[in-house]
Amino acid sequence: MRLHPLTSLAAAGSTAVITTAAAYLPLSLAVIAAAAGLAAWAGTFRRLLPAAAAILVPLCLSLLVLHGLFFPEGITVLGEWGPARVTSEGLSFAVQRAAQLSAAVLALLVFSFSVSVPDLVAALSAKGVHGRFAFVLASTLTLLPAITSRLERIRQAQEARGLVIRRGILARAAAFRLQAVPLVSVLVEDAATRAAALDARGFGSTGPRTSYREVPDRPWEQMLRIVLLLAAAAAVAARLLQAGT
Amino acid sequence: MESNTVLGAGIRSFAFHEDDAPVLRDVHLSFEPGTLTAILGPSGSGKTTLGRLLAGWLPPGPGGRLQGCLSLSGTTLQFQGAADDPRINPAQWGRRVGFVPQDASAILSTVRAIVAEELAFGLENAGTDRPAMKAAVERTAVLLGLRGLLDRHPDTLSGGQLRRLAIGCAVIAEPDVLIMDEPFASLDAAGTDELTHLLGPLLRRGTAVVILSQAVEETLLAAERWMVLDGGTLTASGTPAELCASPGLLPAGIRRARINRLGTHRDFRAKLKPKPSHPAQASAPVLELRDVAFGYTDKAAKGRKARAATGGSAGDGPQQVLRGVDLELMPGEIVAVTGPNGAGKSTFLRHLNGLLRPTSGTVLVHGEDISRRPVGEVAAAVGLLFQHPRHQLFERTAAREVRFGLDRRFGGSEAAARTGAALADVGLSAHEDAHPAELPASRQRLLALATVLARRPAVLALDEPTVALDGDGLSLLDAAVRNAAAAGAAVVLVTHDVPYARSVADRLLTLDGGRLAPL
Ligand SMILES: Nc1ncnc2c1ncn2[C@@H]1O[C@H](COP(=O)(O)OP(=O)(O)OP(=O)(O)O)[C@@H](O)[C@H]1O
Ligand SMILES: [Mg+2]
Repeated sequence: MRLHPLTSLAAAGSTAVITTAAAYLPLSLAVIAAAAGLAAWAGTFRRLLPAAAAILVPLCLSLLVLHGLFFPEGITVLGEWGPARVTSEGLSFAVQRAAQLSAAVLALLVFSFSVSVPDLVAALSAKGVHGRFAFVLASTLTLLPAITSRLERIRQAQEARGLVIRRGILARAAAFRLQAVPLVSVLVEDAATRAAALDARGFGSTGPRTSYREVPDRPWEQMLRIVLLLAAAAAVAARLLQAGT
Repeated sequence: MESNTVLGAGIRSFAFHEDDAPVLRDVHLSFEPGTLTAILGPSGSGKTTLGRLLAGWLPPGPGGRLQGCLSLSGTTLQFQGAADDPRINPAQWGRRVGFVPQDASAILSTVRAIVAEELAFGLENAGTDRPAMKAAVERTAVLLGLRGLLDRHPDTLSGGQLRRLAIGCAVIAEPDVLIMDEPFASLDAAGTDELTHLLGPLLRRGTAVVILSQAVEETLLAAERWMVLDGGTLTASGTPAELCASPGLLPAGIRRARINRLGTHRDFRAKLKPKPSHPAQASAPVLELRDVAFGYTDKAAKGRKARAATGGSAGDGPQQVLRGVDLELMPGEIVAVTGPNGAGKSTFLRHLNGLLRPTSGTVLVHGEDISRRPVGEVAAAVGLLFQHPRHQLFERTAAREVRFGLDRRFGGSEAAARTGAALADVGLSAHEDAHPAELPASRQRLLALATVLARRPAVLALDEPTVALDGDGLSLLDAAVRNAAAAGAAVVLVTHDVPYARSVADRLLTLDGGRLAPL
């Protein structure tokens, strides 16, 4: 069964908020495991991994350096180089923070890789997001695939004219230099032609509109979304109270 | 203008930029409900500009400077080319006037994921309720042969399928006026028939249909009126019979396409020297395909089990497009390939230089298997003209476009010479500095052709090279193809223009059911 996109958005969002607010290592680890499991189940794990690595590796490394090496409250010293001291307290704090952050990021990533963008756009417009804003939203959400397909076309055109691109990420990155300028100009042109078509087909009009795509929204999902949002709010409130005392 | 007019225009002048020479001058026309009008003109005569202006896609003011008037169902707007001119509301205009742009992909909203939603997009914005929308989508899909494609992403359609979708998007809202810019381009015979059959009910319902074309298609013979646009102004107008009777009224650039579907000879053929009979047996084939099979994998369905649960009806297996294509091509040989829309012709051509790789079977160029070689290397021997010029062109000027990659391969002076020669071959010497995207469609096609010709490949693979070309463009293309073949290149050309294919090719093949067979 497929969830309403707003329900999965609420679930991912509140999970991220709650793990961040709770700052409790076992919870963070459980969320990480659950996110990985969900991604594997949905078959998005292999696409998700590089994106997760790109975001999380640098962040976690900097956390480790920051807290692992410079943690003033640290007592148990494991090693010392000048001003930098590796303390076990510092390390465990860094690990906690990294787990917390990874949990939040993974929850959101699992959502963004599994959501059907057309469903999300339709759901938002059913909730009354209309006109220019709907377009900006829809085109932002579809921007990445649009850019990739344009880039792919330009690359094919160049290869068909003798640009040799070897396999592998490095070779592609090197060739990207030749594709960047055409990509920008083609996106600008696209935007201009698209504006004419969208205007003429009534996308900017303000009257009532309907949606062809049906995104079923079951009553219990609406309840669930409210519960999730309340839980997130409660977690934040609890955290603030705790910090206050 | 008579009261019966649904759409009318009195254009004294229209220019894109303040101080440019006008693109349109003294064009006065009006369309009555239930009539079919053809506006004929050679390439560059201003048809597309006129069509976009009439359809509200080129709003005077932001789009350019219009002096004159436009009127829609009794309301007339006067334009002086000044700042306080009235503004067209494209949404309201578009509800009355449907438009099929020359580049079919330009009508796509690009924010809808499947063909059915793209068809419904205009209805959604007008607030049509869902049952009515579903019925309209179903009806339009049946009329245009889109039934089996409703769940596909618009980006994965073939050229002809995309044209059908664009026509569907325009007619689904039942506009009072329907303007179509070169709607026959890229359509197979069935598509042309469907379009013709579509017109009957539209006209009976009172729609005014306007077709802009540079070719006299069979369908247009049934029009109430032909108007001739040449050099941005109306030069003649009358019934088809009147205009056909006095040939002087139709400019030479206007083609008489597909009127006689079988075995016409083009007049310019006689001017060219007969092709030397090439020693096919003596030499080895330049290009060989052995039992090539290929199917597109459905990316969206891959790894997304959840979709199946919601009843997305897209099948899981790859869609088999080629099922065992065999071909041997000798130097100097010209082979034409035809076949219905979506048969896999473009897919087949993309295999020749390795842009697509067969799932089984081999492609050999100069006797060597290309499966391990990068596309860029194979491209030295195989030049591919894409079906859509916009897929081929990416540079800022025509000259840079042709020259891309030549410097690296041949060095500066040779590259410059080849660029000049190729541009001259396609009649674009005067447009070196033009921006490719701003050239009219026919010149874009010729420019794309020049980028292929400049490399003098051993194999020319041309995907619908005749589309968008007027008579003059066609003779340039024809000469280029014959000269290349005479110089020893092998040519594969995909086209729906069977008469042209017969006139130029040594062999005529058809691709249907995933296999090539003699026609
Ligand atoms: N990227 C893609 N993904 C999935 N299916 C595709 C893709 N590109 C093309 N197809 C499908 O493969 C089939 C063959 O397409 P192709 O473009 O080769 O047809 P064609 O013979 O060139 O048609 P036309 O005469 O309309 O140009 C069509 O059904 C098309 O919809
Ligand atoms: Mg094609």
